[in-house]
Amino acid sequence: MKLKTLTGLSLALSLGLAVQAQAEGPVAGETAEGSLAGKTLTFVSYGGIYQDGQVAALEDFVAKSGVTLLSDGPTELAKIQAQVESGNVMWDVVDTGDYMPYVHCGTLFQKLDFSKLDISKVPEGQVGECSVPAMNYAVMFLYNKEKWPENGPTSWADFFDTEKFPGTRGIPGYAEAEGYMIELALLNDGVAKADLFPADIDRGLNKWRSMRDDLVLWTTGAESQQMMESGEVDMVMVWSGRGKGALENGANYQPVWQDWVVVKDQMTIPTGVKDVDAAHALINAYLGAAAQTKMAEDTSYSPINIDAKPQVDELTASFMTNTPEKQAMAYNQNVQYWVDNYDVLSEKWAEFIAGN
Amino acid sequence: MSEPESSSSFSRFLSGPALLTLPALAILILVMAVPLGTVISRSFTEGETVLENYIWFFNTPVNITVLIRTFRIAAVVTLVCVIVAYPYAYAMSVVGPRLRLILIMCVLVPFWVSGVVRTLAWVILLQDSGVINKTLLALGFDKVKLIRTQLGVTIGMTQILLPFMIMPLYAVMRGIDLRLIQAAKSLGAHPVKTFFQVYLPLSLPGVFAGATIVFILALGFYITPLLLGGQQSSMLSTLVQQQVLSLLNWGRGGAMGVVLLVATFGFLALAAPFMRQKYKMSGGAR
Repeated sequence: MKLKTLTGLSLALSLGLAVQAQAEGPVAGETAEGSLAGKTLTFVSYGGIYQDGQVAALEDFVAKSGVTLLSDGPTELAKIQAQVESGNVMWDVVDTGDYMPYVHCGTLFQKLDFSKLDISKVPEGQVGECSVPAMNYAVMFLYNKEKWPENGPTSWADFFDTEKFPGTRGIPGYAEAEGYMIELALLNDGVAKADLFPADIDRGLNKWRSMRDDLVLWTTGAESQQMMESGEVDMVMVWSGRGKGALENGANYQPVWQDWVVVKDQMTIPTGVKDVDAAHALINAYLGAAAQTKMAEDTSYSPINIDAKPQVDELTASFMTNTPEKQAMAYNQNVQYWVDNYDVLSEKWAEFIAGN
Repeated sequence: MSEPESSSSFSRFLSGPALLTLPALAILILVMAVPLGTVISRSFTEGETVLENYIWFFNTPVNITVLIRTFRIAAVVTLVCVIVAYPYAYAMSVVGPRLRLILIMCVLVPFWVSGVVRTLAWVILLQDSGVINKTLLALGFDKVKLIRTQLGVTIGMTQILLPFMIMPLYAVMRGIDLRLIQAAKSLGAHPVKTFFQVYLPLSLPGVFAGATIVFILALGFYITPLLLGGQQSSMLSTLVQQQVLSLLNWGRGGAMGVVLLVATFGFLALAAPFMRQKYKMSGGAR
């Protein structure tokens, strides 16, 4: 009897909530039946299991709305620019890196209409004027357990300490500059956290230069994973997905999570897409709890809907960054600062990775 | 040849063979001239002043370092290609038909495999935990740093570019009348002298043709230095890619491309008189 009442109550409550939501605006993950019948949307991301997982997460949206969903990629800023400049935008929704939507907000990417998106379940501080998060992941490091069977490195301080832990370090060396590369270097060069900004970019890069002989730069995620699988480097700073991939393939490496850097991909709409409403509808569906659960289960990246509860294996679970334990160890970079200073950072970074 | 005759043959050329070049010309204009023109014009128009991108290029030390490095690596690769290809092409030109077929296949089969695949194969061979180093360790030697060094880049590029050196060399060497060598010998010349005074000059057109192709192709290499090289061996094309695709700075990327193009033309202009002379010499000997 009691159970029945409870069920009835919760049913009424959820119905009521749904009605209320309908009156107030969109609900993340909810799609009106047949709303986009006959329309076509092109979704662009970075390919691989990541994009496959994202498309799988959108299956429900495709079925309900009747839209034809095309996949393209990988995301390339120059291609977006070419489309926007020629006025012929083929990419409707684009998954991008962390800074791009901020650096190019209002130019390459349009300002989002938040009356068409439900961002109430997105973790605090992750929504920008031109973007909502696509997933969360970590930049952290792993070390070779063969090299240090015990008493291995446990923090970034150890990563930078080439005397205490002699050996090679793999680090990101791709062209897009990352502010956290400077922040981590400065923090381990004696700069106090309170004095970090305005950041002395030269000093940060000089810290890396001082250990150049021990550095191995990787330019693609696949390369960083290959470094672990072949045991090329003693420590390597990687995207968490690649760390997990390497462990899954049998690499004998130990992840170090202390002060892992919070990073995310972004969902954006390029300026000048043909159907702005449809693009928003796709993003709103993507933000839903069920879609995020599916995305996380398929890709091992962390969901950006706080209600998403992915069921994953033990290894994948150990790489999820949205747990309270992981959140307590997280390090947040100053995205706004790096977006504001992106030109200077890029130029100096380009010199560093070219070997100067 | 008298004047009217040549002009009539020219008009015949225009109505006949010239028409046949039209499709190729149209494609060239579309995929070569138009993009190149755009790149050149953007390098001048996308900046505060007309020359801003060029001033930036020459005022940024890393650009100069990498430009010099690009030419140095191309030169070393060309030299190594000549040294490796010369005896190989010679062998191809003197052996019997069956062995020749085998030698040609050894050159051509890798040539049919994409450069990216071959570069990745080199990664597997050259990396610290790769085949070469594992073998060295097993034999009791120390590891050699091969990947992410200029040595690694040179090895990979040489292998990829070798066919472009062997083929022109072989073509020229096949045309050399070996009776000239016999004649030199019968006149009492030492084999070394025969080689340097008779054979080498006759084969030089092949060396220069191959070296020019290899050098120019090497200047524009992108994937191989990216995968096999480290920071200290990135080439100019990598910097162009950074500017255009990552930083969206078409002006600067364009200026880099134009500088490389002009430098290449400049180099060819310097080499051209030298090459012509050598051609004449070999022509005279023939």
